[in-house]
Amino acid sequence: MLRLNELDLTFVDSTVERVGSGRAEVLEILQAIQDQYGFLPQPALERVCQLSEITPSEITGVSSFYDRFRDRPAGRHIIRVCVGTACHIKGADSIYDAFGRHLGIGPDEDTDAEGLFTLEKVACLGCCTLAPAVQIDRVTYGHLAPDKIEQVLEDFLNWQQSQAKAPQQTAKRSIGDRDFEGEIRLGLGSCCVARGSGRIYQALQEALQETAVRVSVKRVGCVGMCYQTPLLEVVTPDEKSHLYARVQPQDTKSIVTRHFPVRGIRRRISQASSKALQSLLTGQPPANIGRYSVDVRDEQIADFLGKQEHIATEHCGCIDPVDIDEYLENGGFTALGRCLSELGPEDIIRELAQSGLRGRGGAGYPTYLKWQAVRQGKSDKKYIVCNGDEGDPGAFMDRMLMESYPYRIIEGIVIAAYAVGAQQGRLYIRAEYPLALERIGLAIEQCQQRKFLGDDILSSGFNLDLKIVSGGGAFVCGEETALLASIEGRRGMPRVRPPYPAEIGLWGKPTLVNNVETYAVVPWIVRNGAERFAQLGSGNSKGTKVFALAGKVARGGLIEVPMGISIQEIVEDIGGGIAGDVPFKAVQIGGPSGGCVPSELGHIAVDYESLAEAGTMMGSGGLVVLDESDCMVDIARYFLQFTQNQSCGKCTFCRIGTRRMLDILDRLCAGQGSRADLEELEYLGQMVKKASLCGLGKTAPNPVLSTLKYFRDEYQAHLEKRCPAGKCKALIRYSITEDCIGCTLCAQHCPVQAIQIRPYEKHEIDQEKCVRCGTCKNVCQADAVKVE
Amino acid sequence: MPRLTVDKREIEVAKGATILDAAAKVGIVIPTMCFLEGLEPFTSCMLCVVKVHNQDGLVPACGTLAEDGMGVQTDTEEIRQARRTALELLLSDHVGDCMGPCQLACPAKMNIPLMLRQIISGELGRAIATVKRNIALPAVLGRICPAPCEKVCRRAQFDQAVTICQLKRYVADVDLKSPQPYLPSRQPSRQERVAIVGAGPAGLSATYYLLQTGYDCTVFDDHDQPGGMLRYGIPEHELPRAILNAEIAAIEKLGFEFRGASRVGVDLSLEQLRRDFDAVFVATGRFEADKQDLLGLKIGPRGIVTDTRTYQTELPGVFAGGGVVRNRRLAVRSVADGKEAAVAIGQYLSGQPVAGPVKLFNSRMGKLKEGEIQTFMATAEKVARIEPQGTGRDYSAGDARSQARRCLHCDCRKAQNCMLRDYAQQYAASSSKFKTQRRTFVRKLQHPRAVFEPGKCIDCGLCIRIASKAGEKLGLTFIGRGFDVTVAVPFDRSIAEGLQRAAEQCADACPTGALALKENFEADE
Repeated sequence: MLRLNELDLTFVDSTVERVGSGRAEVLEILQAIQDQYGFLPQPALERVCQLSEITPSEITGVSSFYDRFRDRPAGRHIIRVCVGTACHIKGADSIYDAFGRHLGIGPDEDTDAEGLFTLEKVACLGCCTLAPAVQIDRVTYGHLAPDKIEQVLEDFLNWQQSQAKAPQQTAKRSIGDRDFEGEIRLGLGSCCVARGSGRIYQALQEALQETAVRVSVKRVGCVGMCYQTPLLEVVTPDEKSHLYARVQPQDTKSIVTRHFPVRGIRRRISQASSKALQSLLTGQPPANIGRYSVDVRDEQIADFLGKQEHIATEHCGCIDPVDIDEYLENGGFTALGRCLSELGPEDIIRELAQSGLRGRGGAGYPTYLKWQAVRQGKSDKKYIVCNGDEGDPGAFMDRMLMESYPYRIIEGIVIAAYAVGAQQGRLYIRAEYPLALERIGLAIEQCQQRKFLGDDILSSGFNLDLKIVSGGGAFVCGEETALLASIEGRRGMPRVRPPYPAEIGLWGKPTLVNNVETYAVVPWIVRNGAERFAQLGSGNSKGTKVFALAGKVARGGLIEVPMGISIQEIVEDIGGGIAGDVPFKAVQIGGPSGGCVPSELGHIAVDYESLAEAGTMMGSGGLVVLDESDCMVDIARYFLQFTQNQSCGKCTFCRIGTRRMLDILDRLCAGQGSRADLEELEYLGQMVKKASLCGLGKTAPNPVLSTLKYFRDEYQAHLEKRCPAGKCKALIRYSITEDCIGCTLCAQHCPVQAIQIRPYEKHEIDQEKCVRCGTCKNVCQADAVKVE
Repeated sequence: MPRLTVDKREIEVAKGATILDAAAKVGIVIPTMCFLEGLEPFTSCMLCVVKVHNQDGLVPACGTLAEDGMGVQTDTEEIRQARRTALELLLSDHVGDCMGPCQLACPAKMNIPLMLRQIISGELGRAIATVKRNIALPAVLGRICPAPCEKVCRRAQFDQAVTICQLKRYVADVDLKSPQPYLPSRQPSRQERVAIVGAGPAGLSATYYLLQTGYDCTVFDDHDQPGGMLRYGIPEHELPRAILNAEIAAIEKLGFEFRGASRVGVDLSLEQLRRDFDAVFVATGRFEADKQDLLGLKIGPRGIVTDTRTYQTELPGVFAGGGVVRNRRLAVRSVADGKEAAVAIGQYLSGQPVAGPVKLFNSRMGKLKEGEIQTFMATAEKVARIEPQGTGRDYSAGDARSQARRCLHCDCRKAQNCMLRDYAQQYAASSSKFKTQRRTFVRKLQHPRAVFEPGKCIDCGLCIRIASKAGEKLGLTFIGRGFDVTVAVPFDRSIAEGLQRAAEQCADACPTGALALKENFEADE
């Protein structure tokens, strides 16, 4: 254990020296301290105050505002239980509880007694298709169940040990080698990485070395087919593409030998493995192995990709995210070149106006109006900000864009900066997105070297200094005034607009704030013309929108669709309908600011106006499909819990109003609601919507109000102490029916020993002990567990 | 120069002015709590919400810039509702009592903790004023009152209740024995005359307060001496007549006419009184159906039927209170009735709407949670409860002081100048609108001059901004986020370290009782 009085503070001194002593540097300094010590030791903070302009009041206020910062030491490993929407509906709470129980972590603690593990909830790991998922340090485990916790921890510790013995080799790839003998493309988006594509990359390198096959392995951005990750694409010399899904490290060698001539390896092995693989290619894969191969001509894939339109995600799955040459080969920076040489700022803004592009951050404000306002602002200095503080549970579009298309985003930013006359820029990325931070950082370096950033960009005389600001994890910082406060080194609390940032923004100067996706489509519009963009979409919603499709759908992933597509088309055609045999009930669009649209309204077009009319909103792009086994009261409570937790706490309506709404929902889910509660919930919802200060509060009631509108009967049922979907733990009980064959499986898996092992006899559940995690029901092979 | 309309009045303001500024320019007052002239608006309490024409929702006036062509409404039903809800939300997370449980339980609503603080500081002259503001006959009640106040005294959760009743008696006795007993000032005489029927506790009490307001009073009673049941229903050893006489004499000094041995309903009719006087207060004591029939007033099962808030009978100008409307004998209740009826009668005579006394808003913390009694005990003397033995025995000055020091001061330091309370009153907000679990009561006393009760904080951040502006080295800060945000001193230091120079300024600006000056602990109001 670290003794505070013996704390070596020279690190703090050197950090302040390195980062700077201005007030705006507080976030970066805090992050460095946390990385060094594992938490924020008070003497370190006091030292910062001595060395910098940052006051004790500021550093305390800021460090306690963001989720990322800890004020007490953490365990050696951090378990992050994803409580994103997709994980929530698949039982994330039970997983969290199970870890807590297993590690003996008390209600006000987060670390086990030995200081080995710290247990945290995380808004979204971004691997919704693995739900419920957990990340231990950098290893992700998916498809968890409460009874698998012990196994997971054991596996992690074993893996940890093996890692310590054999330190990971960092494989080197050769960029310059373009002698095409074929190519193996490996998805390296966060979701692929979460599913182990890092290990596969390593295994591939080893396999290539061993087989002496000369073929380049290329890391590509997210393909979008998260339901198939890790995804490996083999392009053979005849330029045919072969797609392998759910690949495991041990498969790599077989895949290599299957497509490429083997040099210096015993044929027997390769033949044998090739055979095994053949069976996976042709036949239906055995369920327990959980991996199979797909072909691009596969009907499913065609469906999944068929209705999509890739603009922000152009060249998805084909280009190396950090290879600037490849970006250039694919038309990268031609838009910027055209802007700087042919088009004046006014032309660019006119082009944008014609394209009909609206902000992709959620509210849908016409982009050109913002740009115009900043352009017209009279000031010696102007700023441009890219909002990458995505934090909705169940949404990871921006992260994927930043990881996969960093150059495209930068190009969009430079074009925008040129159009509005900003020479200073900030890219705000949450610290929870390390891969995005790394790749954007790399891309900025590359761009500076190639004169796409910095002074005299492409010899045009235009300068842009672009810096990354790494956020500390506060959903409210997605609100633009809060975002600016955070960049300035203050608590991320919103203020009244107007004045809008376009007029008074960062450090009081005119500032353009747009979302990642908005910038990402700008180069395409400039290259292909506003008209082509405007042809896509419908009415006042032009172009495309990227969504994270997850939940009970068969094929989840990241999709980019033309606006105006119907909900039905997304769910049925792209998503392949509901995964199980439970009927489709609703989609939740827009995350915590959005609402639930019932299946009857599946014909509704996905555009700003239609969604608003239905009581939801585009939001940043989370799209979670729900089926009849999902409780709508629970869903409403889930989202409200999130916004309530993420409220900055400034204004009364949001700070206390959302809490009181949550109180009511808690009562309902516990079967303690009264008729008056429903009225009060609705009244409060309207009030919070009407009188909250910022967008977070104004939209926080949407999940509640929309479910009250479309699923009032479920609320009524909860008043009668019934949960029709069988989700609300206080209202259900598990029991074993006469169908029990006495196989003891349930008793073996019960995480709390609520079932006694009685071979060949009918089992019983001890209701006192039962935590209603549903494990028994899931493992029962005789379908003898019922929920009431 | 933006031109806008606020409540249909055209205003031109300087660029950069807010809606609040614009409204103030034409004298339209918009309620605010988190706003303070000279500091940047923080838009936190949201009490100042107004409606801007053609905009969805409501906006805070203090932080919204006035724009050309804007149309603003500041007082519609929608706005009042939102303000009330904002207050109710704040109150749902407000840990503390405005008035102590004792004062709430006292039928006369006497400010007991204040009286106790005045005893502690030795200001008995002010203590008797505090007492007599609500109780006309404290020496009398000090001997016969069953003391409902003591039954709810929080000190009993530690050992035993404070001897409130005895201490009140002590204050009153000391006053009566002084060369110049307390005499309240009388407002200038008014023309209207009031007939008081019955010279018992209710009648005398009404007389006492009506006289102070400037009305002439004539008191009628069956008996030839005033006092009613106090004189004719209680034995001498319980209530020495000398005490009763002395306290009645104090009322007589304000100048009322007593007409003994005159039976209203027999010797003279109520109709007659109504003709001769501008108002009549019927306080004939214990209800006896046959007797009251003589007055010709409507009678219910418990006595004369009155409006419970205004004490009005069905006859205009005729009020009734005390035992005759309740069929119950509790002197302190009668004394309270007399005081309250006096307010209603005053309203009636001055042509105001007759609504009775204003019921003050009160935030209530309810039952203490485990451990909270220790917090309260921090400022209290640990001595045991001592009651003077026997009727003739009185407290010594030292005893009285040390017994008064047993008080936990449950009431709020800022009960008299709390914006939250005032607005809650004004907007008829309920402190129990939202059911919820309350937080633990905390009281921080380290600062030599200020006391900090974070449970009362509304997170307006005024103190943080003031401290920063005043150049405090540590100052204050928000800690945490959302519902759990709190105001505290950085690095877990004490308020004493955080506020080395701005404590008074902060306490003064604090819109609630979260940050208050300690001197209020001892005395004064």
